[in-house]
Amino acid sequence: MNLPLRLARSRATGRLSARSQQAWNERARRMSGLVGIDVGGTFTDLYHAPGDGTPPRILKVPSTPDDPSRGLIEALDAAGIAPDGVAAILHGTTIATNAVIERRGAHMALVTTRGFRDVLELGRRDRPQMYGLSGNHRPLVPRDRRWEVTERLSHKGEVLVPLDDAEVAALAEVLKRQNVEAVAVSLLHAYANPAHEQRVRAILLEACPDWHVVTSTQVVREYYEFERTSTAVVQGYLQPLIGRYARRLGERLGEWGFGADILVMQSNGGLVPVAQLADRAASIVRSGPAAGVMAAARIASAAGFRHVITGDMGGTSFDVAVVLDGSPDVAETTNLDFRMPLRVPMIDVHTIGAGGGSIAHVNRGGMLEVGPRSAGSMPGPVAYGQGGTEPTVTDANIVLARINPDRPIGRGHGLQLELARDSMRRIGDRLGLGVEQTAEAVLAVINQRMAGRMRLLSIERGLDPRDFALVAFGGAGPLHGAALIREVGVQTMLVPPHPGVLCAMGCVIAELRHDLSQTLEKGLEAMDAGDVAAILAAQAAEGRERILTGGIAVDGIAVEHTADMAYRGQIHTVRVPIEPGWPADRIGAAFREVYGAKYGRPLDVPGRIVNLRTSVAGLRAPATGTAADIGEAWHPVEAARRPVHFGGWVETRVYDRAALGPGAAFDGPAIVEHVDTTTVIEPGMRARVDAWNNLLVECA
Amino acid sequence: MDPVTLAVMRGALEQIADEMDLHLIHAAISPIISETNDCAHGIFHPDNGETVAQGRYGLPVFLANMQFTTQNVLAEARRSGGFRPGDIWMLNDPYFGGTHVQDMQLVAPVFIEGELFALLASTGHLMDVGGSVPGGWAPRAEEIHQEGVLVPPIKLYDGGRLNAEVLRMFTANVRLPEQITGDLAAMANVFSVGQRGLETLVARYDAATVRACMDEMIRRSETEMKSYIREIPKGRYVFEDHFDNDGIVDAPMTMRLALSVSEDHLEFDFTGTSPASRGPMNLSRNTAISSCYVALKHVFPEVPVNGGAFRPTEFRIPEGSILAAEYPTAVGGYLEIVGRLIDVIFGALAQAIPERVPAAPFGTTGVITASGMHPELRSYFVGVFPYPGGYGATRGSDGLVHGNTPQSMANFMSIEMSEHRFPIRFEHFSLREDSGGPGTRRGGCGSSYRLRALSDVTVSVLGDRVDHCPFGIAGGESAAPNRVEFGTGGESWIPPLRSKYERAQLHDGDWVAAASPGGGGYGDPLEREIELIEEDLNLGYISPETATTRYGAVAIEIDRLGDRRVYRVDEEQTAQRREALRNAREGDGAAVPAARKDAMPHVR
Repeated sequence: MNLPLRLARSRATGRLSARSQQAWNERARRMSGLVGIDVGGTFTDLYHAPGDGTPPRILKVPSTPDDPSRGLIEALDAAGIAPDGVAAILHGTTIATNAVIERRGAHMALVTTRGFRDVLELGRRDRPQMYGLSGNHRPLVPRDRRWEVTERLSHKGEVLVPLDDAEVAALAEVLKRQNVEAVAVSLLHAYANPAHEQRVRAILLEACPDWHVVTSTQVVREYYEFERTSTAVVQGYLQPLIGRYARRLGERLGEWGFGADILVMQSNGGLVPVAQLADRAASIVRSGPAAGVMAAARIASAAGFRHVITGDMGGTSFDVAVVLDGSPDVAETTNLDFRMPLRVPMIDVHTIGAGGGSIAHVNRGGMLEVGPRSAGSMPGPVAYGQGGTEPTVTDANIVLARINPDRPIGRGHGLQLELARDSMRRIGDRLGLGVEQTAEAVLAVINQRMAGRMRLLSIERGLDPRDFALVAFGGAGPLHGAALIREVGVQTMLVPPHPGVLCAMGCVIAELRHDLSQTLEKGLEAMDAGDVAAILAAQAAEGRERILTGGIAVDGIAVEHTADMAYRGQIHTVRVPIEPGWPADRIGAAFREVYGAKYGRPLDVPGRIVNLRTSVAGLRAPATGTAADIGEAWHPVEAARRPVHFGGWVETRVYDRAALGPGAAFDGPAIVEHVDTTTVIEPGMRARVDAWNNLLVECA
Repeated sequence: MDPVTLAVMRGALEQIADEMDLHLIHAAISPIISETNDCAHGIFHPDNGETVAQGRYGLPVFLANMQFTTQNVLAEARRSGGFRPGDIWMLNDPYFGGTHVQDMQLVAPVFIEGELFALLASTGHLMDVGGSVPGGWAPRAEEIHQEGVLVPPIKLYDGGRLNAEVLRMFTANVRLPEQITGDLAAMANVFSVGQRGLETLVARYDAATVRACMDEMIRRSETEMKSYIREIPKGRYVFEDHFDNDGIVDAPMTMRLALSVSEDHLEFDFTGTSPASRGPMNLSRNTAISSCYVALKHVFPEVPVNGGAFRPTEFRIPEGSILAAEYPTAVGGYLEIVGRLIDVIFGALAQAIPERVPAAPFGTTGVITASGMHPELRSYFVGVFPYPGGYGATRGSDGLVHGNTPQSMANFMSIEMSEHRFPIRFEHFSLREDSGGPGTRRGGCGSSYRLRALSDVTVSVLGDRVDHCPFGIAGGESAAPNRVEFGTGGESWIPPLRSKYERAQLHDGDWVAAASPGGGGYGDPLEREIELIEEDLNLGYISPETATTRYGAVAIEIDRLGDRRVYRVDEEQTAQRREALRNAREGDGAAVPAARKDAMPHVR
């Protein structure tokens, strides 16, 4: 490892950044507005914090999948934002996710150690689902574009078979004939010694400087050859496309008149400057959901909730995540698709197929089931009148008058209540239930599935679900949240001020962030504290360098170190916070404490460090608002009344969310209509607006 | 029965079973439970022991045998005065219900308002229960005692009091006493999760309603199961397949099934299946029945896991056969029998509903165990490498490459991690070309790897499917057979029993190589689209020879890239060649081309 060189480079860029810090300070005096834009598959959401003390503005416009940057500009125009009043545009995007799912990435090759080109296709012996043996798998790089080079390293990084430069040069000529745009290089045990990978990369780039060449250790310096190879391939597959997108986005925003900072949300919940976006292409997969969790975590933390479960319910899915002490859970590996792991730290968002579009049906045993099949956006719910005939969860909410059929979200015209009732009647007849009873049953079944997932998430962490608050958001989250907290036994549901655009807001409040890791795989008895400290220092330096060279000024840099540890023989690791310079016994004690807290009691077996990790955050000035002074609680005036079905028709007060400010308090049953969603407060529950303008709904 | 309550109650009971699964996966010490979910949990009816709900995180192999084991414990408890609150029974006796001696099952009663309300069960795979081989995969075991300590149904807890003497006796006979004690404690703790869940339900509804829902759920599942059975054309479907040998005696063994489908009833008749083997290739009766449900669930994934689904079925399992292991036969090779049993059910159903059934998967669990003393780490190691292989094709798609066995979800170990832990080096790890059975839809390819020892390593192999290949259906052909090869002292050799070998001593530089079978093909290979054949050729999934002889394709080399040839399949010449092949077939009067016919199972 060439540590001294890296440290030297980092010092040099430190000087550079001092200058850009000055420039930024200057700019910040003139412009303080921040715009978060989350481009989803259906809608582009915008959150604008003007920064002059006026309240934030939000907006939803249809996405433009052919060129997502066009929809982004349209959103900015529609919001009437002036380019020179904005200090930064912060952006979440599904472009990477969609490119993988729709297989629209680069025509690329993979280079591996001789004998191992099929690692990518074989995976680790699995199948798509537990029951049913059908289904197939298409790797991102097909077998005829996977090539082997003669070389081999031991697990300690010793060269067993040297690399043959001439062979690699000859391979470059073959790859030219295959017209590849990108090449991933993944050699066995390269995490222990990246020299061969770097040499292959240099030879390939010499042969064709236009290629995007990604080495596996550039992306993840850990063992597990399949997971590392797959991650490098995803990076190579996305890099050209994301690079083009970053360029086009910069150009379009430039034409719009914007010359300040553009940052993009990563799946670890941190931001990356658009200039570095291509190099982090694999890290922006599923960035939208991550932004939503970040925002929910921040809001809940400010509102005084320690542990929260975040529930984002949209049209087709329910995304749940756990936040402990303000920090979202992070997953080391996420499967983008069957046999396509991505080993980069991502906010751990669990998805089940439960959304407004989930279809209700009666099964062969005569029992009611809801989802996971969804009516999607076409034909959508029956009430949309687009040809759907099978009742959905949204239809149930319409039949029960929880959704106002005359004021649907994101639709120009009203909803067809009678169609929804007819569809409900058809399955009700088979169950021996009336129309409203059937709709209530549909909600009971879907709510139970979502509540079950919430319970399992907390139980998996050894925690009681009652220790949590629920942050409900997304188009359908606040409609169902009250039932979920009742079902799970959670005391409070928090509905943030703009639940329909929370992901866009999450972009605005996030920090810059880079995660680095390296496999050590050593027993504590053999560990050298100096080696560990050197690796951690090098990781911190690299993260710092990435932040300082990104062209974005930061208020400060925060560095955290952890070690993935296990007992000898175990495969499963736990993440232990450590500090550079700690001796083995100190690290061992920290490991036993973490293990004990998670699994009950430590074991009398030698401990082992598997990976060392460093996360480096570039801190930005906080963008959240300030707490209002709440004096006396006050009773808001309802906007309307209408009968809503809660076990029977109940005359229910309907409030306009915009008219509710801090201190407002009222009892359920009630409906709160937001610009972007509807909140249901069940009979017996109480609601109030807190100092941060969150709507809190509590079980009595 | 109120349909809303029923739907919600079903979800709630399944949720309790799921929570029990996750609780153990979280709390277990041994990685085989925490990493590969080798466990299962369920809620059972207090009167007859039928499954009410089973957790969805546990392994398929436990699908129905938990019910049978629980039913046996119920009978045993009744003989000894019935259950008392705080009792926890424990057993691993395969003849009494279990799978193999490594799987320990705990059964506990739930009392509500002083009455027996339900039974709960927890099964977990313990890393070691004694016996002649660490971990328990002993290919030459001839009786159960070589596989580990046998635990009959006994009370681990009696009225809430731990039977500490029994625990001491048991753990004194296992290799990892601390780990095993911890796992048993974790399993016993799971029952409080189940008990609490049921108490909450009773508090919310009332005992009578919950009980009525349990009965109704079982009835509804029976209705559901029958509706699937009605989709299978009535008739008697016979299928037969074979094992290489039993690990001791070099003679093939037969698995024979006559599946009778009536209006809404299935009868599985295994008459004609080989008598019990001398080696460990035996299966307990209950696990045989359980495996039938695993196969059905792979064909009808929506079927609920519940006693009602098991009702419209009947089994004829000959006494003294490999499917009705009796004391003291060894059962360590049980996964091979489970695999073949699933295969013959696919083979029989393929005659009735070929559109819903996959061709045979690779069909061998084929565990390779490498063990010894690590020269650098100075500690004893055991590495277990379960076989991957190809899946059979279905009407809709080619078979999957490199799947796990239908009864398991366990993964293959990382190569890099293995080289850190064991003194071995992988020389290659590749897709096995030409191993998928030809067909309109091609069987998935198996894989091959070679492990070189870097010091003294003892290797045992317990597999099958060398002499009898995974079969194709609906005109599809068989896959390539399994192949195990050793290289010691500069000589390479095939084990005398081909797929089984106990304790080969490897020294520095010696090696073992494995090539797993693919899956069978679906439909006539002469019907496969020529673009797909061209792709298979250029991806190296099939050889030019196979393209010509099995698929009737005429491939022309059009380019070379490095050391690889690039082919184009000529449409016109292929049509001519296929025509000729079809005419030749008619001339022979054979429905299936000649190659590999010897390796095909016999269809009657």
